[in-house]
Amino acid sequence: MLVRTVFPALVALAPLSVSAGTSTLFASGEDLATEGVNAPRLSRDGWALQFSHITATFDQITAWQTAPPFMADGEEISGMPLRIGGPFTVDPVDADARDRVAVTMRDAVPGHYNALSRALVPGADGYSPVLDGVARKNGQVVPSTLRTSDSVAHVCGECPGDVRKGFVTADAGSGLEITLHPDHRFGRADRADDAESNLSAAGFDRFAAGGMHGIARDWLHPDHLGEGHCHVASL
Amino acid sequence: MSRRSDRAGLLVIMAGLLAPHAALSHAALIEAETAQAIRLHAVYDTGAPMSHAQVIIYAPDDPARPWGQGVADRDGRFDFIPDATEGRWTVQVRQAGHGAIAHVQLHGDAPVMLTAPRATGWLERAVMVALVAWGALGTILFALRRKGRHDASS
Repeated sequence: MLVRTVFPALVALAPLSVSAGTSTLFASGEDLATEGVNAPRLSRDGWALQFSHITATFDQITAWQTAPPFMADGEEISGMPLRIGGPFTVDPVDADARDRVAVTMRDAVPGHYNALSRALVPGADGYSPVLDGVARKNGQVVPSTLRTSDSVAHVCGECPGDVRKGFVTADAGSGLEITLHPDHRFGRADRADDAESNLSAAGFDRFAAGGMHGIARDWLHPDHLGEGHCHVASL
Repeated sequence: MSRRSDRAGLLVIMAGLLAPHAALSHAALIEAETAQAIRLHAVYDTGAPMSHAQVIIYAPDDPARPWGQGVADRDGRFDFIPDATEGRWTVQVRQAGHGAIAHVQLHGDAPVMLTAPRATGWLERAVMVALVAWGALGTILFALRRKGRHDASS
């Protein structure tokens, strides 16, 4: 495996909790980051992927209370902001039991934080995100690193999920989450080629030679990342 | 559907009400009320329907907890009958890691306002949720009621 010589300073895995009157920002790559892309959820072209690190650096983070709700139909967003700032470099592979990395916590005015804006920017080594790992298929073992130096701004609406997030009250805090979905770009072998989850997925065959690969932002930065629909703009 | 939305459904269709009858034979009446319903159509930006997608509804007075939930039909359509709570109803539709949130604003007799995401680029495998009808289900139920009354009096 190629090892990067400069490793960005990661956000410490501090035991941040969701406290009353606060909002805690988490980053997650879900179980695909922590456990890898394994059967039956192989990539659309049949690769198993095990990540040693997925590092991503976020900056200019702001949570928003928007009414009417932000619908990602432009970069303009208005409402009550909660400035979170940055930069923060996270590694969702090194996550807690709920596949989350606690990034930071801020005191927050009560309300529903239903939008999040942030920039994905190069880390200390000049790249973000960087996916380090090993791909396996039919006896082939392919160490590889995928990375980009592009910067991109996302302004995202509310995230659909099992639990509606972002509510801060005087008695309870909230958790906001930046979610990365590796399967959205690698695809899913357990679904049909024309399934929605595979139509925009590139798979891993193109990286089968292994080693270092530069990737374009269009490859790795889909227009919705899990926070809901996002407006995307290059920086 | 959840218990609350089941109750809403029961407001619309009350079946099996026993009618007073002097004879020993049993008689049954079916009464129905008209109601206004929200009909959503959930599709990807490719036009493909979100068949059998999970649907979760949040009422304006308790936006953090589901008011009701269900499953879209094979065409991605889903009907629900909101209660009298005015304000912003939120509907979340999810399938296979993709999802969208739409908001339906209800205020008395004012026009229903829908806020839903729209696709903005070819990269976006977006999910769109559209308000297809408001009141269509009521029309259907009205027809059923007319028929039921006719049958009961014959």
